[in-house]
Amino acid sequence: MLAAAGFFYWAAGRIDVDTGGRIGPAVWPKAIIAMLALLCVYEIVKRLASPSGFSATGIVSTAGPGSAAEGSAESEPGHPKKLAGGIALVAAYVFSAPSLGFFVSTALFLAIFPWVGGLRRPWLCAALGVAGSLALVVVFMRIAYISLPLGEGPFRAFSIALLRLLGVS
Amino acid sequence: MESLTQLAAGFAGLFTPVNFAVLVIGLVIGMLVAVLPGLTLVMGVVLALPFTYKMGVTPALILLTAMYTSGTYGGAITAILFRIPGEPMDVPLIWDGYPMARRGEAALALGWSLVAALFGGLVAAVVMVLLAKPVASIALSFSSPEFFAIVFFGLASVVTLSGASLVNSLISLCLGLLIATVGVDAIYGAERFAFGLPFLQDGVEFLLVMVGAYGIGEVLARLNTGFAASPRAEGAQARFRTSFPRLKEMLAMKATFARGTATGILVGIVPGAGATVSAFVAYGMESQYGRNGSALGTGAAEGIVAAKSAATASVGGAFVPLLTMGIPGSGATAIILAAFLLHGVQPGPQVFASSPELVNTVFASVFASVIGMCILGYFAIKPLCKVLDAPEAIVSAFVVVFCFVGAFAQRNNVSDLYVIAIFGVIGFLFERYRFPLAPLVLGTILGPLAESNFMTTMVSFNNDWTVFFTRPISGGILALSAAGLAWPVARAWLARRRKRKEAPNGQTQPS
Repeated sequence: MLAAAGFFYWAAGRIDVDTGGRIGPAVWPKAIIAMLALLCVYEIVKRLASPSGFSATGIVSTAGPGSAAEGSAESEPGHPKKLAGGIALVAAYVFSAPSLGFFVSTALFLAIFPWVGGLRRPWLCAALGVAGSLALVVVFMRIAYISLPLGEGPFRAFSIALLRLLGVS
Repeated sequence: MESLTQLAAGFAGLFTPVNFAVLVIGLVIGMLVAVLPGLTLVMGVVLALPFTYKMGVTPALILLTAMYTSGTYGGAITAILFRIPGEPMDVPLIWDGYPMARRGEAALALGWSLVAALFGGLVAAVVMVLLAKPVASIALSFSSPEFFAIVFFGLASVVTLSGASLVNSLISLCLGLLIATVGVDAIYGAERFAFGLPFLQDGVEFLLVMVGAYGIGEVLARLNTGFAASPRAEGAQARFRTSFPRLKEMLAMKATFARGTATGILVGIVPGAGATVSAFVAYGMESQYGRNGSALGTGAAEGIVAAKSAATASVGGAFVPLLTMGIPGSGATAIILAAFLLHGVQPGPQVFASSPELVNTVFASVFASVIGMCILGYFAIKPLCKVLDAPEAIVSAFVVVFCFVGAFAQRNNVSDLYVIAIFGVIGFLFERYRFPLAPLVLGTILGPLAESNFMTTMVSFNNDWTVFFTRPISGGILALSAAGLAWPVARAWLARRRKRKEAPNGQTQPS
């Protein structure tokens, strides 16, 4: 993070605007980056000098059960395969939506994500994908008139046909 | 008495069939928009604006006012139940409402939220009617140093409150403030940290950070720990019934109600600082001065009451400068100002003389909206709670899709989808490594406001930074913020000192 702060400070230094002697647009980000760097240096020095030393905490953190529950999360083993699958699926969803269109990409996402999350009922997942996506298309595109990706090529033609079927012009 | 007569005339104007129908529609749409994660009430009001072109000015203002008011409540439902704030103002509800929901008190948390919204909204509406002109004149004396100080207070409060480590909280805040600087600078038009990427030139919307970090980040965190077959399995039967706090409990919290409402009204009156700042400032104040302040963040009802009463009270406050001076007190009132102007009405002192019936109807619609919002909120809780019957894997999949729609619908920009995915992973990493998310999100929300007021002050006062401390109001607020920041450090130092003193005693006792 300290290296990143150094890079951004350098990038802020390259913001070149004639301010006529007034305070410039680089001052605010530079002040933030300087504070960020100072905090990083402080934390590094503190950990090197005294790993279990003085540490101020927010008021909430010492308050009891909530913080205790949060604190235990890090020590839990977790499900790294599920997590990796989930991240990959979310990435695939956002990257594929412009090409596949909202209906197809959402149907696939709604069908596969619960499966990755541990729901081993293939027919339910498949039905959820199709019915859920269709319901969302109706709500957002027919009722709320929100413009969502239609896709490209045959997927675009399919999305348009579907919208016509639903009465969305 | 004159005010009451005028208000009665306003109600008479409101309860015509067309106006009443518009009010109900506005309440429902505002609630729906606020409940949907990522679709903010400001966005909802913007989307509704074109529909008002063909309306008369009175129903148009009733529609937008109803949406604005009910929009301040709807997001509380998703914040408390799913840890997804429908609105930035609902972020504090995550800290106390969600822990309550996790321990099976979702219905009670929602009940507290509803009561706080009703109290804050109605008291603020009364203040709006009675004290409009005098209070507006006080707000007029505020300048950019005071605005900066108020924003700084909000930022300092969130650092004081959240996270296990003050340093981690400050790092998170700095990252949020830095993210807010990405894009084209508002004063000079200089490009900052865009690195030639077109989607960064427009800046990183706080909404995307919020939806990604809280929405997708939470889904990933839950996925990592393993989804429950159904949230009911976590012993949350109580979620499925609406539960209001008892009168005795409410009376015991009267100071919290009063503090939150007063904060909401005052901050709402300050132009530019709306429900979000009100909620954060009230929450911070409650943590510092409330009788149960130390319990905030662990599922304390005081946190819900402070934030929600302030957020709803800010609506009445925000209308004061709008109606009396033509200055919007919040994002939503800026759009309502646009609606006024589109219909050829210039809000300001003259509108009280030229269109008194219009002003009175707006006043009445605020009252009716607060009550209508609470009735809707009461009946909407139960069906929304039913969503929790579904297995968590299914609910989480829909949460991601709602995040997707919320992010995309704002600008119809595909790159916004990449941004929420990135912030989803960042949100997960922050949670995993105990960096609090709240300062990051608040930094991105309030960063532009802090910067613009800081820059305006420096330009206006010839780069004299001492003006922040020499002006009594800004100096006072900044001193309060510094005290709030110093308190955790002083407390940790005192605790360590006490520990050191006790250590020799502990060692000598056994021997």
